[in-house]
Amino acid sequence: MSNQQSATKHRALDFETYNQLMSKFAGWMGLLFLIIAAVTFLMPMYWMITGSFKLQTVTMAVPPEFIPTNPTLENWTRLFDGPWPVWRWVVNSIAVSLLTVVLVLAISSLTGYGFGKKKFPGSNTLFFILLSTMFLPSQVMLIPLFLMVRAMHLTDTTLGTYFAMALPMISSPFGVFLIKQFCSTIPDELLDAARIDGASEWRVFTDIVVPLLKPSLAALSIFTFNQAWNFFMWHMIVATDKTQYTIPVGVSYIARTPAFGKAITDIGLSMAGGTFGAFFMIVFFIAFQQYFIRGITFGAVKG
Amino acid sequence: MTKLKTLAYEIRKGWTGYLFIAPGYIAFIAFMLIPLLFAIGLSFYQSSFDISARKFVGFAQYAQLFNDPVFIKTLFNTIKYTLVIVPATVIISMLLALLIDPLGMRAQSFFRGAFYIPGVAGGVVLSVVWLWIFNPTYGLLNFILGIFGIEPQTWLATNPLSFWAVCIVVLTFTVGQPIILFLAGLASIPQDIMDAATVDGANGLQKTFFVRMPLLRPVILFVLATQTIQVFQLWEVIYMLTNGGPFNTSNSLVFLIFQTAFMNAKYGKASAIGVVLLIIILFFTFIQLRLWRDTDV
Repeated sequence: MSNQQSATKHRALDFETYNQLMSKFAGWMGLLFLIIAAVTFLMPMYWMITGSFKLQTVTMAVPPEFIPTNPTLENWTRLFDGPWPVWRWVVNSIAVSLLTVVLVLAISSLTGYGFGKKKFPGSNTLFFILLSTMFLPSQVMLIPLFLMVRAMHLTDTTLGTYFAMALPMISSPFGVFLIKQFCSTIPDELLDAARIDGASEWRVFTDIVVPLLKPSLAALSIFTFNQAWNFFMWHMIVATDKTQYTIPVGVSYIARTPAFGKAITDIGLSMAGGTFGAFFMIVFFIAFQQYFIRGITFGAVKG
Repeated sequence: MTKLKTLAYEIRKGWTGYLFIAPGYIAFIAFMLIPLLFAIGLSFYQSSFDISARKFVGFAQYAQLFNDPVFIKTLFNTIKYTLVIVPATVIISMLLALLIDPLGMRAQSFFRGAFYIPGVAGGVVLSVVWLWIFNPTYGLLNFILGIFGIEPQTWLATNPLSFWAVCIVVLTFTVGQPIILFLAGLASIPQDIMDAATVDGANGLQKTFFVRMPLLRPVILFVLATQTIQVFQLWEVIYMLTNGGPFNTSNSLVFLIFQTAFMNAKYGKASAIGVVLLIIILFFTFIQLRLWRDTDV
């Protein structure tokens, strides 16, 4: 009996060490796989950045040069001295994205608070109508919006162009939803206490609610900034002139322009343009990574 | 009567509520609801660059669409893109998230960033470099395939390959967001559940398949829903890489809308395509919302 027991115990022990060994091995294999995957996913970025320091003859070399042996700044000087206002595009992108963020924040916080904390007839229906458009493809709306922008000659002025480019994103069902969700976690007692102290409804909103909303608003602004920055189709439709381009439109313009009057593209220059275009958003991401993650995970993971 | 009176009273009492939602709701009506209804209305008109000269044609444009081989091909392509990219994104991102999850804090944030950065750069910027990578004579991809003895391919100009080329590029930047979602989902699984599984003698794989994955179900459904909608709206990579070609074999509905409306100024026809896309997306969203409601974990 006792013999049998010790045998099973022994077997169990063996099984455990085997399991431990296996899981250690699996862990190392997993890490190796992860590193290979990360290298693969980042390869295009690496190729673009190093490509921007290669001469045209090098970019077309077979076999390709994995580490540039004779790095050159020629593509970069051509990018900055070329017939395209690259810094103007940066200014345009920042202006459009910031304007979108300001408008989205103002509208979402007001409307989200109204739906989250105020009781009034029809609030559920009105909120449902708003929310049901959250997943609609924006491209359907772009045709009427474009006709509107054209009829109102919004692109005649710089400010008008920025407003036109921000237009389809101003009404953000996602933003309203996010703020409403957060507002409903604010205890009513807190707001009532302020009311009893004689604060007006507006004061309650600006002095109590908005400070509490700050983390959500930060996540929403980062999320909106990135989306506005990459709203390529609309920017391309609205822009009537090279000076009105945003960074992505400009990058695609450079990449699609045939080089040297021939049917080949200027690869080095395209890579410099692409690197330049990617640079700002990547720096932005690294600086605000936590907010990016909060914006993405909000509402998706319960609890 | 009393009911009406109480309603009137409620409305008067709730006036600040209406005031708070007013700016947002006016913007919503002006820049979303009216454009949407206008687009639906416009789909019944034949119209070109001069929108005031439009002509009412009823459902004729819809009928034409379903007899138009380009539209049919593009419609099927769009569905094909969804059926390839969405499951691939879910599987790849879940696998990567499961591998990242047991790592330490620093390694986690490194890998999370590494997979998310291509998405931050955006489809346009990535397409610029992929145009070069896919080049048949001096592209990186054909060189690497050549090492394994595979003949050079004209990736962007032959029939099934251009479709797959678009899929590859899209996959390199869609996985970042789901990875973050899955990691958040995995982190929210209570440790005592995992401990219970360990006590019951489950090994690593069993824990993953029978404990972690069922608990991730809400996240999987969320990722499925958002990815489906995103892939249905795919176009910029197609615009940059293949222009929809060859012969529309890599085209998508949104790119077709773009071509029809903003290159050929056929606003009515483009709106009709938009409405079809709208109906498809509504249908998918509806199904997924049903699935979601059934799994209230």
